[in-house]
Amino acid sequence: MTAGASATLGRLRQAVAKIEGQETDLGIAVRALTFGVPAIDASLQGGLAPAGLHEIAPASARDLGAAVGFAFALAARVAGDGRSTLWIQTDFAALEAGHVYGPGCDLFGLPASRLLIVKVVRPLDALWAMEEALKCGALACVIAELPKDGAIADLTATRRLTLAAREGGGFGFLLRHRPSSLASSAETRWQVAAAASRPDAFGGLGRTAFALALTKNRRGPAGLWTIAWNHHERSFQALSLGVAEMAFDRPDRMPFARAG
Amino acid sequence: MWLKWLSTDRIECRSPAPDDAPLVIVEPVKSALRICALNDVAAALGLRLGMPLADARAMYPSLHVADADPQADHALLEAAADWCDRYTPLVGVDPPDGLLLDIGGCAHLFGGERALAGDLCARFQRQGLRVKIGLADSVGCAWAAARFGETRLVPKGALRDVLLPLPLAALRLDGDIVSALAQAGLKRIADVIDHPRAPLAARFGQEFLRRLDQALGREDESIKSRLPLPSYVAERRFADPIMMEADVLGSIGHLARELGIIMERRGQGARLLQAALFRTDGKVYRLEAGTGEPLRDPARIHRLFAERLTAIGDACDPGFGYDLIRLSALVTEQINPAQTGLAGNDHSAELAHLIDRLSARFGSRRVTRLLPCDSHIPEYAVAALPAQAVRLEFAAAPAEQDSLSQARPLRLFAQPEPVEAVAEVPDGPPARFRWRHILHEVVAAEGPERIAMEWWHNAKGEALTRDYFRVESRQGARAWLYREGLYQREIVSPRWFLHGLFA
Repeated sequence: MTAGASATLGRLRQAVAKIEGQETDLGIAVRALTFGVPAIDASLQGGLAPAGLHEIAPASARDLGAAVGFAFALAARVAGDGRSTLWIQTDFAALEAGHVYGPGCDLFGLPASRLLIVKVVRPLDALWAMEEALKCGALACVIAELPKDGAIADLTATRRLTLAAREGGGFGFLLRHRPSSLASSAETRWQVAAAASRPDAFGGLGRTAFALALTKNRRGPAGLWTIAWNHHERSFQALSLGVAEMAFDRPDRMPFARAG
Repeated sequence: MWLKWLSTDRIECRSPAPDDAPLVIVEPVKSALRICALNDVAAALGLRLGMPLADARAMYPSLHVADADPQADHALLEAAADWCDRYTPLVGVDPPDGLLLDIGGCAHLFGGERALAGDLCARFQRQGLRVKIGLADSVGCAWAAARFGETRLVPKGALRDVLLPLPLAALRLDGDIVSALAQAGLKRIADVIDHPRAPLAARFGQEFLRRLDQALGREDESIKSRLPLPSYVAERRFADPIMMEADVLGSIGHLARELGIIMERRGQGARLLQAALFRTDGKVYRLEAGTGEPLRDPARIHRLFAERLTAIGDACDPGFGYDLIRLSALVTEQINPAQTGLAGNDHSAELAHLIDRLSARFGSRRVTRLLPCDSHIPEYAVAALPAQAVRLEFAAAPAEQDSLSQARPLRLFAQPEPVEAVAEVPDGPPARFRWRHILHEVVAAEGPERIAMEWWHNAKGEALTRDYFRVESRQGARAWLYREGLYQREIVSPRWFLHGLFA
């Protein structure tokens, strides 16, 4: 198909979509991923940029679960348009941080039926698979999980991934098991730590909370926020911020509440 | 086709000894080493099959001797059969030293039966294997012609005339039956062919008559093919062997186009494709690529094999080049053409192709979808199935939710990791635990959720009951811990494990 013909076809598609009142894929693809938290969205100028690469890493070893959860939460917000999510994991990363668990994904807001999992041996294979998947454009987002600090994803590699994401129009998330100091061409870089949740009325565990540190942002300032994930509505909510240090002594909470 | 000198050729190919040295292969028969195979030079010296090695050594002390190795012989026969695949897809192995080729309908591609036989002999000769060929309308007659016949190419309708003068052993009979027939004075096929059948059957068994009928073509005998017969095949021969990977892939692309045209006529698409690369020296590589959806797009087939070749890497050594490349569709399925909307791009085809490519590169077991299973044991509640095999959209059962946090973790460890935990007895939640050298102070816990092993997974009664707790540490990290064994009912001091991580 020549360039002229495909442009004509694109115009026709949009015209038909307008008549039918549907949103075209183009419309979805250019839409940024908002957090629903005004402070963060303002800092990102409207949300995470689509067709770009974003990096996520835990702030410390004990926050690995939180970083994984934050990546899942973003994927769950992107997956709203019905396309699939691809999760690429090296064998060593699975040994370190566990395998993706289907029932847990369902409960977290990302349906396991929309999740594709690729297990690779070498980190290099993970990057290759991510590039292929980003280029293909059939996926809502592609997540590659690299063990340790993922040193293989250096400036050149992330540049390739950025170009691939731009070509396919999907989101690419690079999840490192340790923060990396390498230069990277990612749009944003996040360091995620677990935050103490607000207990429910019965003293049980509250909603999952993340303490986010945006350490690199191409479109605005960096920042620190604490947000909670509502898995029913697939939305983030800001927890009250910056008032005081997190209270370690919480007498209001029963030490061991029974539930279930 | 008869590989009369299979064993000796196998050894002579490899050893630097001159061809004109006598060589015998021996095997122990009834506690004596006897000759079971010998080359022409040895035969010319007067050595015979079945002769004890001691006698042969006494006659010719300088005789080369090797031990019989039936497994190596069989492997060579299989490799030869693999190679014969270039002539016809229907190749059968007839152990210990024969191959059966059905060349009906494909001889004209090689310029007729005689030319095909000549070509086959010449190519085998170059590989160091000498073969005798019998060509006839029935398997039995071809077998006899290869081993005993004067005329190797039996013309149509001349089965009977060719068989008449041959000895009865040419009918593929057991030694016992042949000797029993010999005692009755029956030595040649001509002696029995017009005999009344009933007495023959009564005396020598039904098997004898069946073999006779098979040789005469009165009873059908099919060749059992070694490999599954492909539904659609395209192949290309090269006068000059090709070696470069780009050339191989280019040829596969051309073949994919031809194959696509054939399949399109029938409305079929391939689910399993195989590219066979025939090396000039007789080695054959077979690369297989599966697909999730029936496929006939040449560009996509080409890319699949590009991934496959990269994944295999150096294991596919072109040596002196390939002189034949064949692409076949082993499993095909009906493609139902679907009307796609003009309003949106159809992502499913793109996604299916991506899954195929990833599967070709990493193996289909590494590209998976998670399918819920009906079990309450956490590790059995989900199955990772190859994404190519899972084609239906499945709906997960709504999970029970009893608090604001999730009831199941996002990550599950394949092996639950032992942790040191301090907890109230008998069944309290952990107060603190140490995992991977880090101490976690538990500030909130939910549980216990008691999960006992299903009895069909617990035949020996070894698996203990688990009490699961969802815990949150002072820093907010969440984990899924369990205590293995009920305190003082199943075990004296229960152990603690970390099974998964929450966000």
